[in-house]
Amino acid sequence: MRLHRLTLRNFRGVKDRTVDLPGIGTTVIVGDNEVGKSSLVEAFALVFDFPDDSKSTRIRDIQPVGQDVAPEVTVELTLGGRELTYTKRWLKNRSTELSIVDNDGRRQTWTGREAHNEAERLFAENVDPVLWQTLMVGQGQSLILPTPADAEPLITAVTAESGTPVDGASMPLVTAVEHEYLRYWTRGGRPTGDFAKSAQHVASAELAAAQALKAMDEVVADIRRAERLALDLSDLSVRLESHLESVEELRERKKATDEILLRRDSIRSRAETARARLENHTRTRVERERLLAEVSQFTKHETELASRRKDAEKVARKASETVHAAEAALAEVVELKDERRAEVQDVERLVTSLMDRAELDRLLGQQAELVDVRGRIAAAGTVLDGIKVDDELVNALEDARARIVEARAALAAGVPEVVVRRTGAEAVSLSGTGLDAGAGKKVPASLDGEVELLVSGELVVDVPGQVEVRVRAGGEAATLRAVVDEAVRREKDLLKKARVKDLPAARELLRKGDLASAELQEARRTERSLTSGGDPAERIAVLVARLGIAEGEEAADEPAPRQSAAVESVPGQMSLFEQFEPDENAFDFEDLEVPAPMEIGELAVAQRRLENARAGLAEAEGLLRDAEFAAAQARKAADEDRSEAQQARARAELAGERLAAAVAALEAARALLDDAGVETAEVEATGEVEAVLEELTVVQSQVEDAGADEVAGSLADALAVATRLQGQRDVLRDSLRTTEGRLEQSGRDGLATRRDTAELDLAAIRSEHEALKRRADAALRVYETLGRHRAEAQTKYSEPLQTRIEALGRSVYGPSFRVWLDDDLAVAERELDGVRLHVEALSTGAQEQLAIITRLAISHLVSTGEGSVPVIFDDALGWSDKARLRDMGALLGRAGDHGQVIILTCMPDRYEYVPRATFIKLEA
Amino acid sequence: MNDSITFLHSSDWQLGMMRRFLGPDGQARWAQARLDAVMRIGDVAQQTGAAFVVVTGDVFEHNQVERQTILRACEALKRIEVPVVLLPGNHDALEPGSLWSSAQWLGHAPDHVKVVTDSVPFEVVPGVEIVGAPWRSRRPVSDPAAPGYAELSPAPAGTVRVLLAHGQLTSLSGGMSDVPTIDQAALEAAVADGRLHYVGLGDRHSTTEVTDRIWFSGTQEVTAPEETHPGNVLKVTLSAESIEVEPVRVGAWHMVEHHAELYDEESINALEDWFAELPEKERTYVRLAADGSLPLPLLSRLDSLVDSLGEVFASVEKWVKFWTVRPAPDAADLDALQLSGPARAAMEELRQALAGGDEGAGAALTLMHRLARDAG
Repeated sequence: MRLHRLTLRNFRGVKDRTVDLPGIGTTVIVGDNEVGKSSLVEAFALVFDFPDDSKSTRIRDIQPVGQDVAPEVTVELTLGGRELTYTKRWLKNRSTELSIVDNDGRRQTWTGREAHNEAERLFAENVDPVLWQTLMVGQGQSLILPTPADAEPLITAVTAESGTPVDGASMPLVTAVEHEYLRYWTRGGRPTGDFAKSAQHVASAELAAAQALKAMDEVVADIRRAERLALDLSDLSVRLESHLESVEELRERKKATDEILLRRDSIRSRAETARARLENHTRTRVERERLLAEVSQFTKHETELASRRKDAEKVARKASETVHAAEAALAEVVELKDERRAEVQDVERLVTSLMDRAELDRLLGQQAELVDVRGRIAAAGTVLDGIKVDDELVNALEDARARIVEARAALAAGVPEVVVRRTGAEAVSLSGTGLDAGAGKKVPASLDGEVELLVSGELVVDVPGQVEVRVRAGGEAATLRAVVDEAVRREKDLLKKARVKDLPAARELLRKGDLASAELQEARRTERSLTSGGDPAERIAVLVARLGIAEGEEAADEPAPRQSAAVESVPGQMSLFEQFEPDENAFDFEDLEVPAPMEIGELAVAQRRLENARAGLAEAEGLLRDAEFAAAQARKAADEDRSEAQQARARAELAGERLAAAVAALEAARALLDDAGVETAEVEATGEVEAVLEELTVVQSQVEDAGADEVAGSLADALAVATRLQGQRDVLRDSLRTTEGRLEQSGRDGLATRRDTAELDLAAIRSEHEALKRRADAALRVYETLGRHRAEAQTKYSEPLQTRIEALGRSVYGPSFRVWLDDDLAVAERELDGVRLHVEALSTGAQEQLAIITRLAISHLVSTGEGSVPVIFDDALGWSDKARLRDMGALLGRAGDHGQVIILTCMPDRYEYVPRATFIKLEA
Repeated sequence: MNDSITFLHSSDWQLGMMRRFLGPDGQARWAQARLDAVMRIGDVAQQTGAAFVVVTGDVFEHNQVERQTILRACEALKRIEVPVVLLPGNHDALEPGSLWSSAQWLGHAPDHVKVVTDSVPFEVVPGVEIVGAPWRSRRPVSDPAAPGYAELSPAPAGTVRVLLAHGQLTSLSGGMSDVPTIDQAALEAAVADGRLHYVGLGDRHSTTEVTDRIWFSGTQEVTAPEETHPGNVLKVTLSAESIEVEPVRVGAWHMVEHHAELYDEESINALEDWFAELPEKERTYVRLAADGSLPLPLLSRLDSLVDSLGEVFASVEKWVKFWTVRPAPDAADLDALQLSGPARAAMEELRQALAGGDEGAGAALTLMHRLARDAG
């Protein structure tokens, strides 16, 4: 279908407007809001949908408000190869006219209802409503992505291109397969419905069967246990019975032997009594023997200890004497040692005193030398302090002198030289200023002879009454004179500073200063060497005090200051000597009464004496140590001997006491029974014991003959065994009863039937479940297989449209642009730069662009077929930025190459990039 | 033959037995049928003038059967009017906890019923001495019949002696039994020297004549398809000199195995016919084995057939171990569905998987075929 011309009259706000549209290419219809752009689209729809007599509100709504006029629409278009002109007027003067020119140029015309029906039929025949709705984008719909799956022209085009026919015929099967699948499985692939329930039933039945089986297994185990217990019980009963028989036999034998045993017991009792008596007598005898032996032993012991005591006391006395002797010897040696020590101390004091004297002599010499050196230092310092001349000052003076000479020479050359000679007798007086007679000569006030003068100022030669001559020096003279004066003044300043009268004096003074400096350095070196071991004065004071040498009276007068002339007749020069002030704290050597130096051999003699004295002391100390050791030894030996004597005494006393006690005990025992009686009683008791034992031997042989002891033991053993066996039998019997009781109970419970029933149920449920599972697995397999093939077909089927969308999209977004379509051929996902997103996740602008691209792709795909329709955008691209507008514009322009693209907009600048577009401006 | 006596010999009632292949409903009806057969033994006793009835072991399936089973057994026994002698077998041995010593049995057992609890001969009716070898444990250590006759001297003159025993014969078990078996030669010797006149054996469910005087009566009602001659009671007419044994049918159920080769429509038809000809379908269990391969429509038909037979018969069980019928879809089957596109491709994939031996694909293909057919 192509639209060629549209005419609206009395249609909403439009009074009369005709718009011509190019049959191919992109047309942009521009108009402000309310100018009636959308009315064009609406008019096209209404003219086909509503007959001229329609009372629909949609028709009434298009009538201009308050105007009794008839809305009218004429549309010219190509439809199915025919050219149609279709006019319709509603509400007033209703009419419908349809004029068709077919391929062969034949024209047919209809009017009224027939015209409407024919137009409707042709439209329905040639325009797929889905495609028409898909490609006509109304206001505010530009974001909606098309779902064009049912558009027949698209299906035809896609089928033709992909070679995959749409498989509409299989849909009932697909539905049936899905239905079958969902009977058994959830969409997530988990069992559901009866299938899931049956699995649960199987699990429950398995549990029940396992429990029933277990219960039955316990019964079987009980049966085995009971069988075993019964066998054990039977065995035990047999053993017990035979055992009880042997017990009875043993009892009979025991009765016979009991009498002999009774007799033996009686004799045993008597024997015990006799043996006790014998033991008593024997004890008495042994005790008596012990007492006798004790008395004898203690007596001997006592004697021996008394003798030892005497010996020990004697030894102790002797040791005491030895101690006294040793202590007396020790006292003597101590005295000797004290004497010798006193002597050593005396000689040591003498030697010390002599050595101090020798040191004092040396220090006094050193001190005298030091005083002298310090005098020299002071003198040289005084000289140096008075001299103000140095090398630099002397050089300056020489320089000043040279300048004076130079200036004077210049003056002589630059001023008149006047020679005044008195030739007559008249007095010639000379006066003026700036006169120089040269060489320090004075200008005579009255001239005698001849004088040569350099005149730098004015010379007046006056011969009173005769002539007066005035000579004035030129302009240069004053300047030269000033130079000379300046030079002279400088020299004077320098001489004053040097405190000398002239240059030679200064040079002399400089030489004297150098000499004084050398002197000072030498004296200071000497002083340092003299005081290097400390100040001698301090040591002298110490030694004097130690030696007890007295100081004399203070001198009454100050010593006169020593002075000597150095440089004289130097104006302003201060004295070269200053007073030397002695240190007030210094030792006054003048008043020291120093003994004459000692003799050379005196100290050596004293030192030899000291050595001798010390040797004597050492010897005495050796003797003392020996004596002390001897005394200590003696004391220790005496202590030991004394202790020994005391112990001997104590032991002797103790032995005496023990002997007395033993004698007393013996006497007491004899008072009861004498020694002979004790012996007799023991012999008698022994005889009695022997007689009873003989009797016992006889009866014991009788017991042994009868085996009486073994019988009793065997009976006791047999009874114990019988008791044990009976106990075992009772335990077995109880266990058997318990097990049988349990079995009886389980018999009442019908456990075998329960088990069989549970297994029967399980088998039935399992079988049912397995059947269900086979069906479920089959359904799953079919579902998956069919699903996979459908997905593959879908992919192939959607390929042509997908390819076109991607081709168009890449011109806007670049080569990474991809899309995926769903079953309805709608774009489901988009990928850009490797990021794949569902379309709903895209930005508004991207969604709108994708919607437009998709429509252009559909249009392109169907453009070659009969069913193509115009693409109409009423106000789109409101969401795109400028860069995208440019690319989208280019796309819309190219879309016109394949068909009719109509864009309605009030914003023409959005479409300024659409190439080759026809712009139609609608005016109000 | 004035001195001959007639009695009935039965065994292996195994009351309380369950068969899982019958399903809950079939199980209930079959259990009742086994009691009915016991009652029919009473009828046979009356009709034949039998002086007593002996049951040689396994009266009950287990010592721990439910109370209801015991009480119903007692009721059935009351329908037999002559003395009944019951021998404990391996299923209901005289072991500790045995039902024979339970209050449930002792409290309800009819007076004319005697349980053999030892091997002491006793006179059941004048001139007939019975000696039994009851099982005392499920695990005997020696010939389970021997205690019954080992110590016996020949029967007194004018008295016939009947041994009741339970167990497999050494000669019949082929040495495969894991419990001690009965020495047939020794039995025959005892019969030959006049110690025994009839040996009634139990444990074998098929009626079996060992010698003219040694018989397995077989179970009163079939318990498995393998049994060759079940569902009888033996009418024994006995004297010292002569014996006559006649099996009388008391059972009403059938258990059969069938093996079918299925490869085309004709074979399905033949199977259908085979089922149609079976009598007493509601009391018949069929264990069906089949192999072959079938086109998908026939496979669907086979499934429907087995399903519907299951409704008619007591039970029709596909014997899983021997059920190897495979779908054999051919191109024509699939073309007939007029599928195209993915559906056709999916079906083709399943068909190829099946051809490659994928059993799961067969079931899936069958299902898809059915769904496509129904949807189309």
